[in-house]
Amino acid sequence: MHLTATTYRPFLTRFQSLIALFILCLGISLLSDKFLTVANFWNVLRQISVNVCISTGMTLVVLTAGIDLSVGSVLALSGAITAGLLRNGIPIPSANLYIGFTLLGAMLAGILTGSALGWFNGWAITRFKLPPFVATLAMLTIARGLTMLWTEGFPITGLGDSFTFLGTGWFLGIPVPVWLSGLIVAMAVLVTNKTRLGRYIYAIGGSESAARLSGVNIDRIKMAVYTIAGGLAAIGGLLVTSRLDSAQPNAGTSYELDSIAAVVIGGTSLSGGRGSILGTVQGAIIIGVLNNGLVLLNVSPFWQQVVKGFVILLAVIIDKRTEKNE
Amino acid sequence: MPKNTLKYTMLLVLLAVVAYNSVYFKRLDEVKASAGPNAGQPFDAASYASAFWTNKLLPATAKATEFDALLSLLKTDKEKAFNTHSHALGIGNIRYFLVKGTGNVTAVGDNDITILLPSGESVKLATEYIFGNAVRDASGLIQITEFDNTMDLNNVSAELNTIIRNKVVPPLKANAKPGATINFVGAIELNKAHLHLETIEVIPISVEVIR
Repeated sequence: MHLTATTYRPFLTRFQSLIALFILCLGISLLSDKFLTVANFWNVLRQISVNVCISTGMTLVVLTAGIDLSVGSVLALSGAITAGLLRNGIPIPSANLYIGFTLLGAMLAGILTGSALGWFNGWAITRFKLPPFVATLAMLTIARGLTMLWTEGFPITGLGDSFTFLGTGWFLGIPVPVWLSGLIVAMAVLVTNKTRLGRYIYAIGGSESAARLSGVNIDRIKMAVYTIAGGLAAIGGLLVTSRLDSAQPNAGTSYELDSIAAVVIGGTSLSGGRGSILGTVQGAIIIGVLNNGLVLLNVSPFWQQVVKGFVILLAVIIDKRTEKNE
Repeated sequence: MPKNTLKYTMLLVLLAVVAYNSVYFKRLDEVKASAGPNAGQPFDAASYASAFWTNKLLPATAKATEFDALLSLLKTDKEKAFNTHSHALGIGNIRYFLVKGTGNVTAVGDNDITILLPSGESVKLATEYIFGNAVRDASGLIQITEFDNTMDLNNVSAELNTIIRNKVVPPLKANAKPGATINFVGAIELNKAHLHLETIEVIPISVEVIR
């Protein structure tokens, strides 16, 4: 069979993330004998679990042609709320009352906090027609400030073995964070591919005016999407806090960039309407493998940022070219 | 029963079950009493450091590694030297050792005292720049889980260094003259990835000037 540009281009476009991942793995494994080991395999998967959680929500947002810059701060606040309630509860001296939180209660409070902040993002964007970039940038600052207020600038530590199991434990030979992020991905794939909400998300990203004319309640869908993104960032916050056994006030700083990078590298268009959750997972794995490989190769952290920046730039260029060709 | 009523009743029951398993209420004075008298009090790093110095660190100096032996092991088997003798609270290449030795003073500078060891190697005892976490971490007796936050942990280091500046360094500077023999126990910091054995500086913990 004679290969021409028209025969292999669709193949390359479809599997560009997987091809990039394969080349990356091959290169690193040739340069480091520690890369292709079982321990490092689980290590990479455990490390990317947080980014997978956040990026899944970010994908839904980006599919509607939006962006959420607040996920890192939302992650920090949610983790801090969970840790604070678990450790200190809520004392009410005037009523001589102490409201204690069980593990379930504290975790639910953290997730609810993240969802509420996400809902607020959606509300600000739809109610005041603010650009998502601006609304979520404001939330980035608000949530970080609230985190500092809640923690008084200090880490909250000593959260107990039951809680740290979430971030460090194993279940059936697989790390718990991997189970959790896998479950979230499976649900998100189901939602985007098999539900009305998923179809509406793609429709809004493809053409908002066409979706509106078709009777889609744009504002409601967008608010739902930002609420889900906030909730998933909160789950990421629980994983980070649990893994460190500590809620750090500056946790999640610049996580939004890794998340957007995973989404873009995974082939989701920043213009919305095109992309997939599984593509984002591939993007998150590429970012994770890249981080891991650069560490194993003893590359300076400063150079790591430069390399990651160029990889993101390359992914956006490829995205733009693909869009143009289509 | 209408379908919607059943649905909302089940939802309400589910919410009630979740809420019941999420929060609990107690009298605040009971909680305070069970937490102990120091609950809510700020961490006293100076008292902690003082107790640690007297009750744990000074007794632990008896088990310090011979500096000469450590040096030769670092030159021949770095991995073994680090795995056997070093401690650190975090992960990374920076590790700390509790070392001891005997030698003759060859020079007394503004910032340190140089000692010639029996093996012919020289080592510097710091007398001016007493900073960092070497003293806190070298013995391996402090666990990070003992502290509520990293600020408290860092304050312990600062207080231990203050003890050294106030109690160890002044008599050392007063008595260490060139030619004097010194028994010392101290802490050192080494970078496993970038090992420079020629510039090791010991932060003194216990020093005895023999003559």
